[in-house]
Amino acid sequence: MEEQGFFAFMANNLADFWEYTGFAHATAEHLIMILIGFFFLYLAIRRNFEPLLLVPIGFGILIGNIPFPTDAGLEIGIYEEGSVLNTLYQGVRTGWYPPLVFLGIGAMTDFSALISNPKLMLVGAAAQFGIFGAYMVTLALGFEPAQAASISIIGGADGPTAIFLTSKLAPNLLGAIAVSAYSYMALVPVIQPPIMRLLTTKKERLIRMKPARVVSQTEKIMFPIIGLLLTCFLVPSALPLLGMLFFGNLLKESGVTRRLAETARGPLTDTIIILLGVTVGASTQASEFLTTSTVFIFFVGFCAFCIATASGVLFVKFFNLFLRKGNKINPLIGNAGVSAVPMSARISQNLGLEYDPTNYLLMHAMGPNVAGVIGSAVAAGVLLGFLV
Amino acid sequence: MKKIGILIISLIAALGNISAQGTKSLVINEVLVNNKANFQDDYGLHHAWIELFNTSFAIVDVRNCYLTCDKRVLDKSLSAPERAAMMYPIPKGDVLTQMPPRQHLLFWADSYPKRGNFHLNFSLDTVGPNWVALYDANAITLIDSVTIPANLPVDCSYALKVDGVKDSGWQIMGDTPTTFVTPSTNNMTLDTNEKIDGFKEKDPHGFAMAIMAMSIVFSGLCVLFVAFRLISAIGKKIAQRNAMRHHGIEDVKEAKEKNVGTESAEIYAAISMALHEFQSDVHDVENTILTINKTKRNYSPWSSKIYNMRSMPK
Repeated sequence: MEEQGFFAFMANNLADFWEYTGFAHATAEHLIMILIGFFFLYLAIRRNFEPLLLVPIGFGILIGNIPFPTDAGLEIGIYEEGSVLNTLYQGVRTGWYPPLVFLGIGAMTDFSALISNPKLMLVGAAAQFGIFGAYMVTLALGFEPAQAASISIIGGADGPTAIFLTSKLAPNLLGAIAVSAYSYMALVPVIQPPIMRLLTTKKERLIRMKPARVVSQTEKIMFPIIGLLLTCFLVPSALPLLGMLFFGNLLKESGVTRRLAETARGPLTDTIIILLGVTVGASTQASEFLTTSTVFIFFVGFCAFCIATASGVLFVKFFNLFLRKGNKINPLIGNAGVSAVPMSARISQNLGLEYDPTNYLLMHAMGPNVAGVIGSAVAAGVLLGFLV
Repeated sequence: MKKIGILIISLIAALGNISAQGTKSLVINEVLVNNKANFQDDYGLHHAWIELFNTSFAIVDVRNCYLTCDKRVLDKSLSAPERAAMMYPIPKGDVLTQMPPRQHLLFWADSYPKRGNFHLNFSLDTVGPNWVALYDANAITLIDSVTIPANLPVDCSYALKVDGVKDSGWQIMGDTPTTFVTPSTNNMTLDTNEKIDGFKEKDPHGFAMAIMAMSIVFSGLCVLFVAFRLISAIGKKIAQRNAMRHHGIEDVKEAKEKNVGTESAEIYAAISMALHEFQSDVHDVENTILTINKTKRNYSPWSSKIYNMRSMPK
């Protein structure tokens, strides 16, 4: 009897333990999400698509989709108050990771190309039509204005900005929007070239741009200060993003805060990117992520990227009508108006070299590219101002 | 040192101003004078009450501030201690005096301050008009005041129409079926977002948003464009002037012909690249092989004895 009782005791405990394992709670949705995580890791590791973002996000998806009993109060899930993942997720939810990423971006960005040729700022502004074109598409799909704004910001091709705006306007869509934004940023080399080829003639692709002039250090120091004052007086709601972006750039350009600049662009950014990537990935729990909204978000995200690329290229073609012969802009840098830095500028360079192996467009494309960073932050501020 | 001193004093003054701005965001939001069957205090008793509202999005501590209904404190000839003696000092050491953002705090005007920190040392006149004021910790700065009209109906309050918004005006609450006495809660419940509703109604397709938002984004970057166009022009002029001085050229036309001061950044990039390459190539650890095999040393003029200084020059 005693032995029977002992084995029954063991069996009961093992049965209880089984209830705590992931196997007992696994559903088809969990497996689908785990496969999506594998796909992200594959893209990052084998195809080298934005590995610094997709490895943390892909692994985060695996972390977030390990099944467990949600009613047991284990405090392990990312949405459970007090869990470690929930604590790390606060930076995404309350929106303080994105400004720190912007600090790092500012500290590593050279705005010389933009300062030497300020008209490229307008290309960065034109590409933001991707956001507002997508806003119209999203409204047509039946989303609320605040949700539509959060989804359409994917068109800015700026992950931190998308997370920042969504955390304020539509926190329940945060996981899907963040994953969509970063996925499409990684797919920029696939999405943009066909649109650029389609909208340009061979003659336009061969346009050689005037070399950039030398920019003095004084101008480089003045840029973040004047940039902050002019843009943030116009759109104060973009202050967390633009404030940190310009502050980071001043650390870099002042020449007297080298250590701070190195920390901002190095260890600090790396730390925040790790935490941001993993927690955004983990926030895609199957129950929250696998919905029809997510499908729409990915669809709108794709539309937004296409519209942004097309509007940048078409704006350059239109702008060229007003420019003198020697001052024409190669429309292949129009795509760089989206703020995927420096990927989209690299695409301009590669496509330019494809048609003329001696036509280097990289530095010219960096102008609209960094203007796109400013433009998308301003656009986010405008949407916040209108809808909060 | 003098400049640093001035800077520190300015900073301290600015910080002082910041703390003052905290209590400045407090307003008297609602007052109930004649309480017969309305909100009860912790003792289950009905007394007049005064509700404060924190209009800011930050925590504000009301400790050390003063509440009063005595108009004599308006006499500017009185000193701060004299004024303080006529008012109720909100005690410190109570965490409940910290008002969360956009929240309310209720004080009982029952003349029983010993019943707790939120029980005032004065009560309100149920017949005549009442003047209620909130003073800052210095007992001199008036933060907010309101005059409650006489003969307010029983169990009706006098409240701001919209919480914390003085321009919205005051009204009597609880005297009609559509107005309510709202102790420690919002006077006006906001269950809709007017902005979003406006966009949903007037701009269902998003055209207005696209036009307005694109215009703002364009204007923002256009302003930057104009500013840096000017800075760029000045920068070019300064660069040309410095280059002319360096080359000893005084005529601007000559400088333009010789392209002085208008060198492309690509030249500097090429020079920098060459320097970088050169510096990266310098290595002080040579490739060496450690071996026990007999090595054959080739002739080298550097090791030749005939070239050393011991041989006398002819």
